[in-house]
Amino acid sequence: MFSLAVVNGLVMGTIYALAALGVSLVVGIMNVINFAHGEFYILAGYFSYLFADALGWPVAAAMVAAVALVFAAGVLVEYLLIRPTYGNDMYSLILTFILSIVLQNAYLHIFGPYPKKPPNWVKGATNFFDQFYYGNQRLVALAAGAAVIGALFVLIKTTWFGRVVRATSQDREMAEMNGVNTVGVNLVSFGLGCALAGAAGVILSPIFPVTPTAGVAVALTSFVIVVLGGMGSLWGCVVGGLVIGLVESFGATYVSTGYKHLFDFVILLGVLLVRPSGLFGKPAA
Amino acid sequence: MRGRWAKRLGMALAVTLGMGSAWAADTVKIGVVGPRTGGAAATGKAFEEGIQIALDYVNSHGGVLGKKLEVVFEDTAGSPDKAAAAFERLVTRDKVAMVLGESHSSAALAEIEVANRLQVPFVVVEAWADPITAKNYKWVFRAGPSNSGVVNETIAKWVEHEGFKRVYIVAENTDWGLGIKGLCEKALKKRGIQYASLVTERKAQDHYTELAKIKQFDPDVVLAFVYGTGLHYFIAQAGEVGLTPKAVILDGAGPPSLWPDFWTNVGEYGDKECFVSSMHEKVELTPLATHFRKAYIKAFGKKPSDYKSRSIFDAILIAADAINRAGSLDAGKIVSALETTSLEVTRGTVRFGTTKGGPEYHHWMPPMLVIQWQNREQVVLYPPQAATGKLKR
Repeated sequence: MFSLAVVNGLVMGTIYALAALGVSLVVGIMNVINFAHGEFYILAGYFSYLFADALGWPVAAAMVAAVALVFAAGVLVEYLLIRPTYGNDMYSLILTFILSIVLQNAYLHIFGPYPKKPPNWVKGATNFFDQFYYGNQRLVALAAGAAVIGALFVLIKTTWFGRVVRATSQDREMAEMNGVNTVGVNLVSFGLGCALAGAAGVILSPIFPVTPTAGVAVALTSFVIVVLGGMGSLWGCVVGGLVIGLVESFGATYVSTGYKHLFDFVILLGVLLVRPSGLFGKPAA
Repeated sequence: MRGRWAKRLGMALAVTLGMGSAWAADTVKIGVVGPRTGGAAATGKAFEEGIQIALDYVNSHGGVLGKKLEVVFEDTAGSPDKAAAAFERLVTRDKVAMVLGESHSSAALAEIEVANRLQVPFVVVEAWADPITAKNYKWVFRAGPSNSGVVNETIAKWVEHEGFKRVYIVAENTDWGLGIKGLCEKALKKRGIQYASLVTERKAQDHYTELAKIKQFDPDVVLAFVYGTGLHYFIAQAGEVGLTPKAVILDGAGPPSLWPDFWTNVGEYGDKECFVSSMHEKVELTPLATHFRKAYIKAFGKKPSDYKSRSIFDAILIAADAINRAGSLDAGKIVSALETTSLEVTRGTVRFGTTKGGPEYHHWMPPMLVIQWQNREQVVLYPPQAATGKLKR
């Protein structure tokens, strides 16, 4: 039971972290809280289902196309909805909240109320030392989630785009004075944030089929992780995701899944009492 | 001058309003409550289908009180607060004569309080928690299963009939789940059958750690009281961790095992799964069940699967019959008519209990079956007189 709780906590935590990284990136650079984050997760799941199941594409091609389309959808939303609200964060909050409701209803009308599941990449389960069986699809999800997180860190830490993003998030005015097109950074960053939610969606939807309203829980968990890890901290997201994944897994093993959200809340409250800026957040000046 | 115009405007308004009420009087309105959004939105779709067929049937058979029957459907999203508000809107805004529907016990328990306060007849269709009728409200009826009925008449007897020795109960943390879990524990204890149980989050997706606990108990059968997509997750994951096929899973509600995406979501792990249902694809209890199947195929180009479309069809026929026999839209007269109902619907003949003191009051319990998927074919296991095959493991 203990080993299963550890493995399952790590798998779920990695995917949570991936989804939360999208929120963190957008908050860190644009100071925008995207309430429709979970709906982009679901959108990727639906695209993946459409391409792989309905159109019969290879699973890998369906996944890449789904994430690319969600990136494009994010760019479009930034251009049409977020950009006109620059300077008033409350408007973007309200707009993304409305977008979230509109998208949920659109999914219901287009895809219906029944859950949709893209095909598994792998089938069956692996026997861990005769202690427990673990689904192969989940093991692949762990590897894929970790690979995407790794790629994001390489992008942010080692590339020109990453330097521009970090400069913008640290001091927007100074970045602009140094010739950085911060409007363009916002556009790409918002798209990237949505694409990260989409990546989590395509990885997880073969395990947890998507429904029109399933994104709400994903967004909620992502926000908890971002606050827990420290607003805007990418490392904080990874650690926060793993903490939440493990706490939920141990809680479900030794207490009950009925208290899942209570565990999240208690751990968040505990950390904020000790470090109000979150695990990796910088204390306010 | 201004006074004359005011008079003309007033007359025009009066005529318009008069015409409005005359138009409204061309139909008799009844309300339906149920989830069209949220985790059980599939029920709303099933309800819409059943309503369409019922309205065609009732209106082609003379309607209600010589007028056409009209249905106003309000979404409850499975949430008690939305459900109470929706019920109140139907009564105060739409002026419905009575209300039918619901499939979430928590929502129905909120709605019966509104029905009682506003004194509006309410026929609950697919919300199973015992207190819904055990509260013995004059205005509340139930033309569908109750937790105690399903457990004592079907599930517990089936467990005993199959000779299961070790039973695990998994229940979602809702009024339905917790209520039916308690009743199952009581029934199994009475029969001396060993059991264990756990409560799961209604919206939980990941059941791995729970399944590890269940596997340690080594049950013969798992009674899963988890509704909606959650059941699909549970069955798929039970297969992955190797709990099934050694143990058999019983879906204690039914419809999720009949949804169109069931097989896509659970794959081969769905084979040998059992479920409780008031409908079997090849068993039709009355001529109206045959009519329903044919009308459904004609309207939607597919066979009916989610039995909740048939439940709401029956409820609308019960409502139309009661209003016709009451001879008016007076709520008290409709209640009296409902109490003397003797109407053949798709699931048998409806007669509401009138003895106060328990959940049987104002309740009609349709017969329920235990069905098993065997190579994607439905095989009736219980009751024995209706069985079309034996349990496979």
